[in-house]
Amino acid sequence: MSSALENYVNQVRTLSAACSYRELADELAESLSLLIRNWSILDNVLETLDIQQHTLGVLYVLLAKLHSAPTANPEPAQIIQLMRDFLQRSSVEQLRFAVCAFYETCHCFTDFIVQKQLSTLGIKILSRAIDQIRQMDTQLTPLHADLCQLSLKAKNFSVVLPYLDADITDISTVAAECKNQQQQQSQNTMDANNDAKYFLLYYYYGGMIYTAIKNYDRALYFFEVCITTPAMAMSHIMLEAYKKFLMVSLIVEGKIAYIPKNTQVIGRFMKPQAIYYHDLVNVYANSSSEELRIIILKYSEAFTRDNNMGLAKKVATSLYKRNIQRLTKTFLTLSLSDVASRVQLASASDAERYILNMIKSGEIYATINQKDGMVLFKNDPEKYNSPDMFLNVQTNITQVLDLVKQINKMEEEILLNPMYVKKSLGSQDDDLTSQHPKAFSGDPTD
Amino acid sequence: MQSNKYKELLQQLESEELEHIELTPEVYQQLMAIYLYQNELSNAKLLWMRIPDKLKVENKELAQLNLLNLALHHNNYADFFKHINYNWSENVKSTIDDLFAKQREDIFTLTGNAYVSIYEEHLLDMVQMAPNELRTHCASLGWTQEQDGDRVIWLPKAKEIVPVRGNDDQLLKLTEFVTFLEN
Repeated sequence: MSSALENYVNQVRTLSAACSYRELADELAESLSLLIRNWSILDNVLETLDIQQHTLGVLYVLLAKLHSAPTANPEPAQIIQLMRDFLQRSSVEQLRFAVCAFYETCHCFTDFIVQKQLSTLGIKILSRAIDQIRQMDTQLTPLHADLCQLSLKAKNFSVVLPYLDADITDISTVAAECKNQQQQQSQNTMDANNDAKYFLLYYYYGGMIYTAIKNYDRALYFFEVCITTPAMAMSHIMLEAYKKFLMVSLIVEGKIAYIPKNTQVIGRFMKPQAIYYHDLVNVYANSSSEELRIIILKYSEAFTRDNNMGLAKKVATSLYKRNIQRLTKTFLTLSLSDVASRVQLASASDAERYILNMIKSGEIYATINQKDGMVLFKNDPEKYNSPDMFLNVQTNITQVLDLVKQINKMEEEILLNPMYVKKSLGSQDDDLTSQHPKAFSGDPTD
Repeated sequence: MQSNKYKELLQQLESEELEHIELTPEVYQQLMAIYLYQNELSNAKLLWMRIPDKLKVENKELAQLNLLNLALHHNNYADFFKHINYNWSENVKSTIDDLFAKQREDIFTLTGNAYVSIYEEHLLDMVQMAPNELRTHCASLGWTQEQDGDRVIWLPKAKEIVPVRGNDDQLLKLTEFVTFLEN
């Protein structure tokens, strides 16, 4: 082992033993390039360190190993095993001093296994990493985006869904972490620029995952967050999210979903680049399945290039369904062949199939009479008097109550924030006396 | 509860899948069968996408399971009941039996809700049963039949929904709600 690396090991051992992690983390960040230069003997270094006691030392060796992966070309199984061991035994207390390096290690690891096409094996590792580093269950970390990416690559969502289902109330960013630690190193400013990228990616990937499992409402929300993120310039992640947003809006609402006003980026940059999709929206509004089919065919090349062809087909199916739903508002009974001709389906039996499927999924209420070849449309039979509906209402109320509690809590946090107090004191002294959390919350139950 | 029957097994299989690259076809078969039984069709579809191509070709049973998946996906009942008629291995047999029973019950519930009248041949095609078997089954559901020329028409009866929840539970929830409103 070269003397420089011996120094490294000694330093890690001494400072870890003395529990001066703060100092250690600062020192180690500077020796990263040294480690990368000596990539060939890093395994020897690892042997002399204990993951639990010398978490920080091992973390930087791992980071160096991943950085040197293109030249060193290590065995993927070895790296995966290393990461697995590391996350099982590392000390969170020490990791807190090098959160940025930890994020970077995980990003590099993700890139590495995606490249080696072993994404499946990384899912559990990343989920463990998130569990370890996040301070609460509703905190978003840059690692979430990595986990989503791996899940999408592996086409396996069982692990990632609980993370996506949690509503985010706090965001951990590299910029904020650096500020906490007062590290102003040049290498970290680079990462801080990526904060926005990982935030957008999380919502973009998350939207894709929800689309894949056909939870379109939630997907729409994720895409909306992605495209309405305040920005001066357009990110390509936002553009792709916008295209998918338009398609999913058609499936969910049949028109472009409401977008908040404060998003000039959309009108200025995104619309001109998503012309095909806007054409699709316009044609959809005509309710003619035939025209829609033609336009999808016409733009099929563009949709295929954007990997949105599957979604376009779903849009086409949704128009048939929407048209059938519209018929239920006008007619009480209609013959199956009439349904077919009105919604431009090929035959009466096709129409019957669509209607049967829609009855099954609860999208319409109707009964089919095969004897006369008629459909009898009914109103929603729900009388809101069944125990199931009661339970449904209860769950919704509970959700709203929790939301109100959460808003009150966050409101309180802001009110107690010294920065906020200082600012509001400066401008409006009088108002402060009347500031009570309730006065703001817009409590719907008041 | 019936739906929790496979919960543990499913968790175990899913976690097994995440830790190994080379899996035996049996794991995939079981996973697929459970997803189908739970009606998690998107999961089944994604599972099929991640099964290695080699296995898809070599393992006939997996391919057969995917035919079931596709049939359910397209709501093609006739195909489903055709394809489920297969010599399943011990590995998935019990799950498939459960799936079969559940789907058969579902299709009759659906028919009961969606049709006022349905031709017997149509129904036979959909559920793939022998005519005698179908007649006893329909009769047991209290459906009546009519004659239209030489064709038989069944007049299904919608199933009554049985309420299940207890009153205490509701009272508790209501109390909670009122407490919130008062504070």
